[in-house]
Amino acid sequence: MRVLVVEDEVRLANNIAEALRERCGFAVDCAEDGTDGAALTEFKHYDLLLLDLMLPGLDGLSIVRQVRRRKDMTPILILTARDQPAQVVELLNAGADDYLTKPFDLGELLARAKALIRRGKGAPQPELTVGRITLNTVEQTVRCAGELIDLSPTEYRLLEYLFFRPRAIVSARELLEHLYDYNWQHHSNVIEAHISNLRKKLRAVGEETTIATLRGRGYRLEAPEQQL
Amino acid sequence: MKSAANAIRTHSLSRQLIGGVLLAELLCAALFSAVAIGHEMHGRRRAFDIMLRGRADSLLGAVRDAEDPEDNVIVDPTELVLPAQDVYEVLSPTGRVLGHSPASSAGLLAALSAPHAPGTFNFRAGRERYRAVRFDGVRVIDREVNGGLRRPVTVLYAAPTRDLWHGAVEAVWFYIAASALLLAVTGIALVWFLRRRLSPLQELAEIAGRVSTHSWEFVPPAAVLRTTELAPIALSMEELLKGLQLAFERQRQLTGDAAHELKTSIAVLKSSLQLLSMVPRTAPQYEAGLKGLLLDSERMEELVSRMLTLARLEEAPVEERESCELQSVVREVAERLRPLAELKQVVLQGSAGEERLVAMHIDDAELLCSNLMVNALQHSAPNGRVSVTVQALDGVTELRVADQGDGIPASALPHVFERFFRADRSRSRASGGAGLGLSICKAIVERSGGTIHIESAVGTGTEVTVNLPALQISAQN
Repeated sequence: MRVLVVEDEVRLANNIAEALRERCGFAVDCAEDGTDGAALTEFKHYDLLLLDLMLPGLDGLSIVRQVRRRKDMTPILILTARDQPAQVVELLNAGADDYLTKPFDLGELLARAKALIRRGKGAPQPELTVGRITLNTVEQTVRCAGELIDLSPTEYRLLEYLFFRPRAIVSARELLEHLYDYNWQHHSNVIEAHISNLRKKLRAVGEETTIATLRGRGYRLEAPEQQL
Repeated sequence: MKSAANAIRTHSLSRQLIGGVLLAELLCAALFSAVAIGHEMHGRRRAFDIMLRGRADSLLGAVRDAEDPEDNVIVDPTELVLPAQDVYEVLSPTGRVLGHSPASSAGLLAALSAPHAPGTFNFRAGRERYRAVRFDGVRVIDREVNGGLRRPVTVLYAAPTRDLWHGAVEAVWFYIAASALLLAVTGIALVWFLRRRLSPLQELAEIAGRVSTHSWEFVPPAAVLRTTELAPIALSMEELLKGLQLAFERQRQLTGDAAHELKTSIAVLKSSLQLLSMVPRTAPQYEAGLKGLLLDSERMEELVSRMLTLARLEEAPVEERESCELQSVVREVAERLRPLAELKQVVLQGSAGEERLVAMHIDDAELLCSNLMVNALQHSAPNGRVSVTVQALDGVTELRVADQGDGIPASALPHVFERFFRADRSRSRASGGAGLGLSICKAIVERSGGTIHIESAVGTGTEVTVNLPALQISAQN
C-alpha cells in the first residue's frame, strides 16, 4: 500500500511517514505544500491520502475537491488543528472520508489509516481469506489453515495488495506504483523475484492457491473455484 | 435582553405621538365646547333676567288696594298669566307679605325672601336652582284720586334655571358632537399616518435586532435611507458593523491561527514520543529521538514566547518615559549577531551615524533590530552583504535593513506582516520561525507611532525601512 502525506510541518510529516512504514509496512511519500501534494495525487498511485488542512499553496479542502472532481475514489484522511463542527461537515461533504484533530494519537492514526484502506478496497474486516489462506492486516501475518507462513515484509505487502484484489489482473507496474515510494528505484524484475518467492512459500505449505503470471499483462491471485 | 427590557421601562414613540396629538385635540374640543356653552349661557341669562324683570313688573302691576279699613294693598294675580313653577312674593316695607305665588311651598318662599341686596341673585331650594330678581317698586293706586296713593313694595320674583342650562346645551350640542366626530376621525387618521410614516424606524430596529456575532448582515432598507433623520443612523451603523465584523473576524482568525500553531507543535512532540516508544529501539536511536524532541520543545518554547511578546506589545500602551538611543542599539545587536554572520559568511555592515533618540523601550528596540537583522542574515547567500543604517531625516529617524538575498515573491509581499505568515514555510520552519518575527516588528514600530515598510525583488534582495518619530536629545535631558 502506498500513502501520500501532505503536511507542511516537516517533523510531523516525517513522524507519520516513519510510523506508517514501520508499523504498517506502507510505502509513504511526503509533500510539504498543497500544490505539490495535489500534483502527486494525479498519478493515482496512492491507496490513502493523508492531508493537513492548513497548507501553503493549496489547502486540504481544495485538494479533496480536486481529487473527487476527477472521480478518484482514494480514501482521504484529514488532519486538522481546528475542529469546529461546521468545518468538519464541510470537509466530509466535500468528499473526505475521515478526520483527526491535532494533536492526535499516532496509534489511532495508523488504525484509521488501515481501516480506510481496507474499506476503500471493499473489505470490512482486517482479516482477508482466499482459499485456505488468511491474511491479517493488523498483525501483518499470513496463515494457511492456522499455520503461520513466514514472509519478508515486501512479500507480505505484495500478497496483501493481491489479496485485496482477488482474481483481478494486477500489472507489475501497478504493484510497483503501489508498493514503493518515490525514493525507490523502479525495477520491475524485483517484483518478479518476490512473486516467485511467494509462490514457493505457498507451495511449501501445500496450498492450491497461487499467483499466476499472465505474460505481458500482470499477475493474478488464483484459488480453486469453489473456495473463492 | 429580556431582563434589560424588564428593567428599563420602554415607551413607544408612535404611541406617545398619537397620545399627545389626541390629547391636544381633546383639549381644544373641550375648550371650544366650554366657550360655546359659556357664550350661549351668557346670552340666555341676560334674556332670562329681562324676562324675570318683565314678569316682576307685571306682578307689580297686579298690586291693588285691599279695600280694607287699614288701607292695605294686596296682590291680585288673577289677571296675570305666569308660569306655574315660578315663585314670587311681594312684601310691604315693613316686611309683611302682601301676596305670593299660590302653588309655592313655605320653604321655597322662605328661601326666596331670605335677605338679599336688590338685583338678581341665585338660590337653591331642594334640588331645583332658581334665579331671582328683587327690586323695590312704588305702586300708585287710584291715580285719578288726588294724584293717587303711593305704596312702596318689594317684589321678589324667581324662576327655575333648569331650562336655561338645558337650552344652552341643546343650542351648542351640534358643535360638541361635530368636534367629537372630528376628534375620532383625526385620531384614526393619525394612527394610520404615523404607523405608515414610522414604519422605516420599525424596519431599522428589526434589521438591527437581527445582527449578532454570527450574522453580521446589516443592509438598511431603501425606506430607511430615504428618511432624512434615519439615513445617517443607518449608514453609520452599517459602517460600524462592517468595521466590527472585520475586527471580530480578524481576532477569530488570529485565535484560530495561534491555536493551530500550538496544536501542531504539540502534535509534533506527541507523535515523536509515540514513534519512539512504539517498538523497542537501540540506544543510538533513542539518543537521536531525544535530540529531535529537545529541538521540538525548543521550537515550541520559542513560539510561545513570541506569541506572548506580541500579546504584550498589543496590550500595553507605550509609556511616556520610554526612550532609547537607536544607533547604539544597532551597534550592540550587530555585535551580538557577528557569529551568525560569520557562520553564514555574510558581511554585516552597520553605519556610524549621529545618535538618535526614539520613543521605544530598549528591549523592544533590540528585539526590532535583531528580528530584522536575523531575517536579513538568514535570507542571504554566502558572500552577501547586510547593511543597517540609521539616518536622521526631517523629523523622523529612519532605520534601514537591506540584504542581497533571494527576495520575497510579489504575491507574498503584502502578507509578510500578517501573523503566522511564512513566505517559505519549509525554510522558516527549519530556521525556527513561527511567522511572527515581522508581526512583532510591526507591533513594536506602531506602538511607538512609527511606520514599517518592506520592499523586495526576487533575486535582488529585500529592504525593510522603519520610520520613527524623532525625539530631541536636549528635550529629554
